[in-house]
Amino acid sequence: MKLEEKLKSIRRSPWVFHLNSGSCNACDIEILDALTPYFDAERFGVKLVASPRHADVVLFTGPVTRETLPKIIKTFRAVPRPRIVAAIGSCAVGGGIWWDTYSTMGGFPKLQEILKQHGIEIDRVVYVPGCPARPEAIIYGLLLALGYVKQKVSKVVRVVES
Amino acid sequence: MQVDRISSPLKLLTIALKTGRVTKKYPFGPPLLTESFRGAISIDPAKCWGCGACVLVCPPNALTMRFEEERAVLEYFKGRCIFCGMCADVCPASAITVTKEFELAATNLEDLKEGVIHRLSTCAVCGKPFAPAAELRDVMKMHPIAEEYANICPECRKKRTAKAFGLSFGANI
Amino acid sequence: MSAGEVVKEIEGKVVELGGIVESITETAVFVEVPRERVRELADWLYNSGAFLKTCAGVDERSINSKFAVYHIFGLDEKGLDVVVKISGLEGEALPSIADAVPAAEWCELEARDMLGLHILGHEAKPRHVLPQDWPEGVYPLRKDLSYDYRPSGNAEKFSEELPREVGLPIGPYHPILHEPEYFELYVEGERVVDVFYRGFHVHRGIEKLAESQRFTYKTIPFLAERICGICGFVHSSCYVLAVERAARIEVPERAQFIRSIVLEIERIHSHLLWLGIAAHILGYDAGFMHMWRIREPIMLLAELLTGSRKTYGINIVGGVRRDMDESKKKRALDVLKNVREEYKKFVEVLTAVPEIVKRATGTGVLPKSDARALSVVGPTARGSGLKRDVRKDYPYFAYKHSSFKVPVYSEGDNMARLLVRVDEVFESISIVEQLLDALPKGPIAVESYEIPPLRKAVGTVEAPRGEDVHFIITGHGRPYRWRVRAPTYQNIPALKVMLRNTPLADAFLTIASIDPCFSCTDRAIVIRDVRSGSRRFVGLFEGRRYASR
Repeated sequence: MKLEEKLKSIRRSPWVFHLNSGSCNACDIEILDALTPYFDAERFGVKLVASPRHADVVLFTGPVTRETLPKIIKTFRAVPRPRIVAAIGSCAVGGGIWWDTYSTMGGFPKLQEILKQHGIEIDRVVYVPGCPARPEAIIYGLLLALGYVKQKVSKVVRVVES
Repeated sequence: MQVDRISSPLKLLTIALKTGRVTKKYPFGPPLLTESFRGAISIDPAKCWGCGACVLVCPPNALTMRFEEERAVLEYFKGRCIFCGMCADVCPASAITVTKEFELAATNLEDLKEGVIHRLSTCAVCGKPFAPAAELRDVMKMHPIAEEYANICPECRKKRTAKAFGLSFGANI
Repeated sequence: MSAGEVVKEIEGKVVELGGIVESITETAVFVEVPRERVRELADWLYNSGAFLKTCAGVDERSINSKFAVYHIFGLDEKGLDVVVKISGLEGEALPSIADAVPAAEWCELEARDMLGLHILGHEAKPRHVLPQDWPEGVYPLRKDLSYDYRPSGNAEKFSEELPREVGLPIGPYHPILHEPEYFELYVEGERVVDVFYRGFHVHRGIEKLAESQRFTYKTIPFLAERICGICGFVHSSCYVLAVERAARIEVPERAQFIRSIVLEIERIHSHLLWLGIAAHILGYDAGFMHMWRIREPIMLLAELLTGSRKTYGINIVGGVRRDMDESKKKRALDVLKNVREEYKKFVEVLTAVPEIVKRATGTGVLPKSDARALSVVGPTARGSGLKRDVRKDYPYFAYKHSSFKVPVYSEGDNMARLLVRVDEVFESISIVEQLLDALPKGPIAVESYEIPPLRKAVGTVEAPRGEDVHFIITGHGRPYRWRVRAPTYQNIPALKVMLRNTPLADAFLTIASIDPCFSCTDRAIVIRDVRSGSRRFVGLFEGRRYASR
């Protein structure tokens, strides 16, 4: 199935799988919070599934510790193509506050390179910064992946006058 | 216990009916924010000195400064920022403000980067670039007597000071 | 080859092996061979393209005093069945054709079970068709047994012959877990008899990072706060407490009050979170949703007072970074009043609902003597009758300016731990209200401080899960050594006692009732042997060898 086809077919109801690769749990409880009455992600048809084989979108948190790396690779192999990933939190987007220690790999960008070497392709990635990412930011990121909202940030470079 | 089997679900029903619907209509309505919320920061290039105090204090190294040939680039990577606001606290020029932006999702990692480019002044003696021009200009505004040393790089400044020191003792330099 | 020619071939082979052809019909050929040669015939038929259909054991003692086994083969292309009969007297061994035709194994076992035939090669295999507790020597298909014979004995009892230990791997990724951790529960039937835990998936190298050039005393509170996302403020408070004790820094009173207030707000949110998760684990999802709905105003209150919903970031060595003015105080008191009312009404329902009450009472019992021996902390200890609370025993910050009870229950089961947490929420709301009323004026941080190197200190703070200990040896500009011992570390060995002989269905609630927070823990692996009662701390690789015995 092509990426555009899949995005169109899951637009009304994406099923998400939550994958924690060693995070401190703050982003994970904010993901759970997004399902509770105040933010209610179920309005968009979001449902937490039990197995990666049923997942449409993988919600990824954590700075990929060395211990979880082989297990993460195995889990991603089980996600069916085309793979859509939402990297949530500062640990997943850039490695977090411990991006260069002996026990962490450096977040999702590094993981994507490692997965490519194993022949596992990720078709679409959305990065959601925050520490922890607010439930509203998570919903915004998910809707961005599906195409409901427009991206607000862009690269800005300014020169200082002197 | 028998009474509870019937009365507890009924009590729950009354609680639920009384509460009603609490769901916020975000993103088709305003989010649930308070006034103290710390979101992404914004750097004002008109005020920034390029001193690097924010780079030193940033815990996850989201603010980095790299020195290229003729310029210094202060880069802010929103992806690794932990939104602590320490940079705004220590900035001597009050150039960093904390905004309430949290809708920072992006599909491209490069979109999360922001840069402020400083031109480096060159040394009046040896011609090598050494410090951002904005920093020198603001230091000279605060301490006018430093003007004769402000345009010289630290190496030449050391040499000149040592020479003046030696000359004051009558050495033959 | 036509059908007739095939039949001729079969006849020829049978006669060659010393057997006879009993009859030939349009669809079948019935042959009998001596039992020693049946395997060769089966092999030849199989290699000629025949499929095995089934075999049947027959008690022919009334006809010719022998037992017989009929193997039925089918030649698909010719539409021909070949029925091969072998027979033997009672007690004589009949050879098996299962190594030539593997499909025959099941039907031969059935013949063995139902008729008591001695088929070579199948002696050691367990009962195939008959129940495990069927008496020996009674064979239903023998003609001398009546069809309505009932063996004596109790068919309702579970047979003792099934004590095989099965290891259930749970994790690292499992729908019920929020963090990666690996449990192997060894179950016999439905009872849990042993547990193997492989943790450390969340090890991030925090203690080493604090000693590196990237961090100084000023910025380590942010690092400490992210050790755990649910009890993060506890870790950062404990760190600054230890450093202030080591360097003998006098912190202003207002800062101590603000720290205590935020600590109690964190305790409220953590307990409400746990109650929701416990209801969810027991299948009561309405409880989960309502409890988290009631919890949301607390998160907003924390954001109002500190700037962020979680990982507050207001602690620094020597005080706090954010102040509370009068309007914030008033709004905080309003929010707490509303939360207390809603919580009170809902908790009455939660602790009376049969789903919760019947499953949590009486399960996962931790007796007081074991709790004392294992030195458990927090609600786990207070649910087993031990009155331990760091806020009362080793006072710190501003708790001495407030009065509160420490709830203690003595049953030691899951319900007791649940009720301890329910009561603690009320106490915490009362503490915050008292401290907000008594908030003194003054600065919120010291102006400047000195931290001399190589001083040692210990800080202890009561986290929602128990007692959190930080040990500091100061260095130049950053700590020389920083050691964190999280409360869950102390509580995990108690799981061995609580999980002993519990049914599998209660195991998850029991594990969740100590409120495990593996991000805080991840330091050592403990192997528990439930049967012998011994406990050893083992390293990473030795544990694997121990578990595979």
